[in-house]
Amino acid sequence: MNKLNKAIYEIQSIEDLSSRDSFINNIHPLIKFILTIIYISLVVSIDKYNIGGVIGMSIYPIFLLIICDIPFKDTFKKLKIVLPFILLIGIFNPFFDNKILFTINDIKISTGVISMITLVIKGILTILVSYLLIATTTIDKICYSMDKMHLPKIFITEVLFIYRYITVLIKEASKIIEAYSLRAPNQKGINYKAWGSLLGQLLLRSIDKAENIYESMSLRGYSGNFYYSYNIKYNKKDYIYFIIWLFLFITMRFLPILQIVGNIFI
Amino acid sequence: MHMADALVSATVAGIMYGATATVTGYSIKKVRKENDPRKIPVMGVMGAFVFAAQMINFTVPGTGSSGHLCGGILLSAILGPFAGFLTMIGVLAIQALIFADGGILALGCNIWNIAFYGCFIGALLIWKPIMKRKATKGKIIIASILGSIITLQIGAFSVGIETFASGISALPFLTFISVMQPIHLAIGIIEGLITSAVLCFIYEARPELLYGIREDLNKNKRRFSFRKVIIIFSSLTILIAGGLSLFSSEYPDGLEWSIKKITNSTEIEVSGDIYEGFEKIQETTSVLPDYNFKDSDLVIGTSLSGIIGGLVVAAVCIGGCYIFKFFRKEVINE
Amino acid sequence: MSHIHIDVQNLSFAYEKEEPILKNISFTAKENDSIGIIGANGVGKSTLLKLLVGLNLNFQGSIRVENIPVEKNTLSIIRERIGFVFQDSDNQLFMSNVYEDIAFAPRNYGLSEEEVKIRVENALKLVHINNLKDKKIHKLSGGEKKLASIATIFSMTPDIILMDEPSIALDPKNRRNLINILNEFQHLKIIASHDLDMILDTCNRTILMAKGEIIKDGDTREILTDKVLLEANNLELPLSMQKII
Repeated sequence: MNKLNKAIYEIQSIEDLSSRDSFINNIHPLIKFILTIIYISLVVSIDKYNIGGVIGMSIYPIFLLIICDIPFKDTFKKLKIVLPFILLIGIFNPFFDNKILFTINDIKISTGVISMITLVIKGILTILVSYLLIATTTIDKICYSMDKMHLPKIFITEVLFIYRYITVLIKEASKIIEAYSLRAPNQKGINYKAWGSLLGQLLLRSIDKAENIYESMSLRGYSGNFYYSYNIKYNKKDYIYFIIWLFLFITMRFLPILQIVGNIFI
Repeated sequence: MHMADALVSATVAGIMYGATATVTGYSIKKVRKENDPRKIPVMGVMGAFVFAAQMINFTVPGTGSSGHLCGGILLSAILGPFAGFLTMIGVLAIQALIFADGGILALGCNIWNIAFYGCFIGALLIWKPIMKRKATKGKIIIASILGSIITLQIGAFSVGIETFASGISALPFLTFISVMQPIHLAIGIIEGLITSAVLCFIYEARPELLYGIREDLNKNKRRFSFRKVIIIFSSLTILIAGGLSLFSSEYPDGLEWSIKKITNSTEIEVSGDIYEGFEKIQETTSVLPDYNFKDSDLVIGTSLSGIIGGLVVAAVCIGGCYIFKFFRKEVINE
Repeated sequence: MSHIHIDVQNLSFAYEKEEPILKNISFTAKENDSIGIIGANGVGKSTLLKLLVGLNLNFQGSIRVENIPVEKNTLSIIRERIGFVFQDSDNQLFMSNVYEDIAFAPRNYGLSEEEVKIRVENALKLVHINNLKDKKIHKLSGGEKKLASIATIFSMTPDIILMDEPSIALDPKNRRNLINILNEFQHLKIIASHDLDMILDTCNRTILMAKGEIIKDGDTREILTDKVLLEANNLELPLSMQKII
């Protein structure tokens, strides 16, 4: 199944990106996490007719994309999962919200069109910055930030475990499905007669694996607690980075800078 | 089913995070109380299992389409609702972060819509009572299918409410729901069938793994034909899916027709009432932009200068970044 | 005079309502022994090893590790002294990178971060994988995973090492690495394996099992050159011996 192999490829390419030694990758993960959340909250709160506002907020993802040398193609591929649904919802806005705003060469632009465009841009920006966060921060550092934010340890441990074993289980699933496909060459997916046994086998193997892992852990002193060595120190540049971007976010979001700049050209 | 950040307002996201946090806190307490250190590696591996399982294509007989597993009920049938919930949260968080399936801000909503309903309503309120006295294959099938259908219906409905309460779409609530619910009914049936197939397999191979099942020495003699159930539900699925595709194949005519019908009928007044109700709630709880699509007061930013200004700033940013990169490379090369 | 590190007397074991897997096993192991446990599939090699670390306590007979009986309340003490290398490295390596995994055991023992660091670095050195310190586990090759899992045990500074089929899925070079590492480890080691050539290279004593019982317990060379004995127990001469005899 292509999907399984694609998933492994996706995970590995994100890991390669996030473990590079670059300026952004070395910024303290908690700072990046908080900036991302602030950014998303601000973008989401922009008025639905404020196209200029959303375009202005694009400076952050633009900066990350260009400065961090993140391949555009892979990044924009990420949009294809959620963007269609956003489009599907936004596409109705012009039907229901049809006060005409202005006309360009006889084409009537209604407020609904504006709100649809704004929605789509918001969608793109928010998805981009989430992806750019994970593309510049390893999962270990993200979990470290979550720990610093006092999220429950059991949840963080669990995320790390899931992440650790995703590739293992996807490979297991691949093997089982390959074996199945070789004996059912005309089938695209799994025939209903095999649903129970195929997935059931994978499930039982997973549970056995978990039991073995637990045995291995208890043989090495595990009694319910997990410890991590990460202790990432803050640098001056982390604080400067944070303050500059916070300032820019607030400026772009709340001050009429864009109108002023635009008026220069009109 | 996964909501994107752009579809929720900060308020709605915040409320759902609050609700999720409360349930999470309670679940952690419950899991800790069980004091079973075995649970953590099992939860982790099961979470990874759900990931792998979600990528498998299950061919629905007769329709030629494929179904996928969500996993909430399956997880809870093995781990119990509380551990199952915590595991699903991990799965959804990783889906949001690594696979861009669902937003970070909207994670609270997604956890509620998918994990909460799946694990607590599906497992606690549906699975457990059905399995109470004696476990049989028939009961497993019914519990799985019923659980999946109901939780996905409620989940889809919640997506509607959250989208609507965030005020990002002009689509009337009822229209939105009238498309979401049937689609999720079909998805729910398939999920239920897949889940029941797996759980029946586990029941035969290792029944002690299933949550809420009492050890039963007497095997149940009544034979419930799994095949019959598949045929019944597949037929239902074909009818629903076929009906939907007829509907959508007439798009945009069919859709326009229904939109016209709605805008001309009295139903608009009903949704208008819902609008105003939510507006009132919103106004009292936050300082957010106006919802009223009907007579929209144009905010400054909509003006042409705002748009041009935005484009100029973006262009300058792009140019600036490239120039910066170029100079940095020069410096490094020297 | 070497201490007796492991003392097994009249050990019998069966899973509930099933055929007994081990029948009346008795042997002792001293501090500097290198013992290979050999036998056809299903004779109980892995089960025996697991019982030595108390992964199942429903056995009859007695097992004493460093004179401590293997019981529910002694498990944590015993497990600090014995390192167990599992057959499947993916079950052994569950943290996100090599360092964290090797540090897992010392941290659980309550050592300070500085001491943990020293233990990890020593373990990496013993297994010659210093370059893998920060590597992500799922990026390791099969051979690297096996070496890393051995390192996770070395950081415990155990007196005894148990290994279940350690050379499976290793290419010749990594297999040679493994043999060298085992020969450098000076304390008691018990290795269950089908790889008779490896047993020949690393163990001075061999226990041959069949149908849950010990058939022979003695010098490795003696047993592994006894063609009749091996073939009677569904085994063959080690490959390196097949040309000579």
